[in-house]
Amino acid sequence: MKQLMALCLALLAVVALPAASQAQNGPLRIEITEGTIEPMAYAVPDFVAETPGASQYAQQLARVVADDLSGTGLFREIPREAHISRVTSFEAPVQFADWRAINALVLLTGSVAEQGGRITVKFRVWDVFSGTELGQGMQFAATADGWRRLSHKVADQVYTRLTGESGYFDSRVVFVSESGPKDQRAKRLAIMDYDGANVQYLTDSRSIVLAPRFSPSGDRVLYTSYETGEPRIHVLNVGSVRSQILQNGGGVMSFAPRFSPDGSRVVYSVTSGSNTDIYLMELASGATRQLTFTPSIETAPSFSPDGSRIVFESDRSGTQQLYIMSAAGGEATRISFGQGRYGTPVWSPRGDLIAFTKQLSGRFHIGVMRTDGSEERLLTASPLDEGPTWAPNGRVIMFSRETLGAQGTSSLYSVDVAGRKLTRVRTPDGASDPAWGPLQ
Amino acid sequence: MRRSLAISGGAHALVILWALLGNVFRPDPPEFEVADISVISEAEFAAMTEAARAPKVQDQVEAPTLAPEPVPAPEPVPEPEPVPAPTPEPEPTPEPEAAPEPIPEPAPEPTPEPAVVPEPQPVPEPQPVPEPLPPALEEVPQVLAPVTAPRPKPRPAPRVAAEPVIAPAPDVAEAETRQDAAEPEAVAPEIVEETQEATAPPETATEIVTEAEEPASAPASSMRPKTRPRDIAQAQETPQPEAPAAAAADKPAAATPAEKPAAKPATQSAEVKEAVDDAIAEALAGGGAPTQGAAPSGPPLTRGEQDALRVAVQRCWLVDVGSEAASVTVTVAMDMEPNGRVVSSSLKLLSSSGGSGAASEAAFQAARRAILRCQGDTGYTLPSDKYEQWKRIEMTFNPDEMRLR
Repeated sequence: MKQLMALCLALLAVVALPAASQAQNGPLRIEITEGTIEPMAYAVPDFVAETPGASQYAQQLARVVADDLSGTGLFREIPREAHISRVTSFEAPVQFADWRAINALVLLTGSVAEQGGRITVKFRVWDVFSGTELGQGMQFAATADGWRRLSHKVADQVYTRLTGESGYFDSRVVFVSESGPKDQRAKRLAIMDYDGANVQYLTDSRSIVLAPRFSPSGDRVLYTSYETGEPRIHVLNVGSVRSQILQNGGGVMSFAPRFSPDGSRVVYSVTSGSNTDIYLMELASGATRQLTFTPSIETAPSFSPDGSRIVFESDRSGTQQLYIMSAAGGEATRISFGQGRYGTPVWSPRGDLIAFTKQLSGRFHIGVMRTDGSEERLLTASPLDEGPTWAPNGRVIMFSRETLGAQGTSSLYSVDVAGRKLTRVRTPDGASDPAWGPLQ
Repeated sequence: MRRSLAISGGAHALVILWALLGNVFRPDPPEFEVADISVISEAEFAAMTEAARAPKVQDQVEAPTLAPEPVPAPEPVPEPEPVPAPTPEPEPTPEPEAAPEPIPEPAPEPTPEPAVVPEPQPVPEPQPVPEPLPPALEEVPQVLAPVTAPRPKPRPAPRVAAEPVIAPAPDVAEAETRQDAAEPEAVAPEIVEETQEATAPPETATEIVTEAEEPASAPASSMRPKTRPRDIAQAQETPQPEAPAAAAADKPAAATPAEKPAAKPATQSAEVKEAVDDAIAEALAGGGAPTQGAAPSGPPLTRGEQDALRVAVQRCWLVDVGSEAASVTVTVAMDMEPNGRVVSSSLKLLSSSGGSGAASEAAFQAARRAILRCQGDTGYTLPSDKYEQWKRIEMTFNPDEMRLR
């Protein structure tokens, strides 16, 4: 017995020791699987004014860039009061030790010049701890009244360099502006920057307007109007602010329109009697085709980014649930199986997620799920949240939230796809039904 | 033989005599303490229990000053002191004269809520009604919350990491490690000791908590108050059900939700593995195992030493869980100086998998920032006698587990 044990031990030593020795050959290998989820600390000193006329923009530009970045929830600005170094020249070498001392991981420096009514912005992004520049310096120029867009452009570039993804700051949102008491509320279409600035009204408040949707290029807006007494789909040209009724061959009531990713088709709902089905229209020819044929309510269609599939809501199973079908119609597959009612699905521009509104136990939620219905996650909770719309990069969802009561108002909120950063979008009046446009 | 028999018999006789005469078999029971008891009224008992609980209130009030203030003598029925809410950043709006709320209200939305809900201030118990008490055998309602309450979700915190950290006190500086404040010795004025500022790591949760998942600050239902026992003496003898403590043990509080059922076995297996690694390392060192080619000489790093490096780096590895970069695993190579610092120019991306070029670049940048940032000014703590083993390191950053949070 003892001999057997000794033999085993000897064998173990013969096998284990060379293996251990082999494991130590070459470099030390470490695997990190646990990290930290927190905003990345960055610093943005005021931009350097290179001309006397640019001094008024030097601080404003930096502030808008900082608001953009911090508003994502991915970045955290280190207050200017904590800065040790002062950037007085755009070309001067960066004192990285001073920025390391305040734990700034990223530094953004910039300058602005104004000449003849045009302003030029230059910027650089620095990785503080490695002491290297991320990407190369870049500059944008625009007329002075477009200085906010310049800021958004800079922020988009910084965002891309830090995350490897495109930004969404230089984009616009079309929405329904609401004013007046709840029982006599005036609604009109409006358009604004993604952060609520530069609001412009596209329609007057003579008729009720609903559910505006941007075209993929951002030059047209589909919306539903009660101008004729019945809900009808209109197409509005954003440049000329002219609209016309989308002539379709279905029933009288048509609503919930949405463009296809290539902008050549429109999918929408038509109510005929007590039945609502989904239709598809070729904009070039005006030809329409019915996609669903069940005696239930099918509505809120939304294309996948590649245009091959459509997600929509239906009560064909008895409760309001989400389904996916081919863009040519046919058999639909149910993807939502949780408790509560699901509605207003919107496919993410990245194609990986579907945002939706969920009603459960008297509360409304904005949530996301995989396209097969898995990994459902509720991001918000309130008495009334609805109408999600995706940012162009698929990282943020904007929606409308209404407070209850006779004096209740509707306002816009945005939440990142992880649910960490919930922000109210400031608008002059009440706002609902947002639709995020493409990156400009 | 006879002699030994006599000795044995004599000894037995002595033992029997000692047992009989030495009161070994006396019937007296062992002594016990006798205490006089007196019957007191319910009001007196209530006052007594209030007085006994009073010091606990004082324990919960954390003195913000470094020097401990003399604790005031407990009042029989103390008024609840206003406890400042431990918000990470003291807002200018709260006024010190604000009336204390007996029940802490949830913080407003933009403000990160404190990870630990302060215990509600003891509300003076209602005066007992001088009526016949219910029978002592009446069933006491059991605590329902620990049995039926779902596992609490962690409160939202700006930082999500492997280990949860409660929100630091407002007057405590933020740092990666926790340290207590030190003050100069009062008895030795000639020795000037440097004061040490109290620091604490930032508030951390173990997973992302959305608005929909955010737990309510107050329980939806609370336990029915226990009926007062009829007999005070029985109440003293009956052990108090430690339901809250048990609940706290079974269901971790919101601030310490990182209950890892497998933590202990993992620790044990890690210890065993470390011991095995140490033994192998010693065997290799003592045995003088021949090295091959350019293989580093000397004993390899133990599991504990490798873990220390891993933990040091992962604290600074920021993962953007919603990004494409969170799908990319990168391996970074670096050279190390003997003092534990990274040769920053040597950092390079060895390989990446799982994403586009831009995502890989972003993932590499995040890894590089983590490595460079967490070495601090003094470098990583690594055994200098094993420098040959760690002078070149390949570190793989795999965010797969982070995406699931």
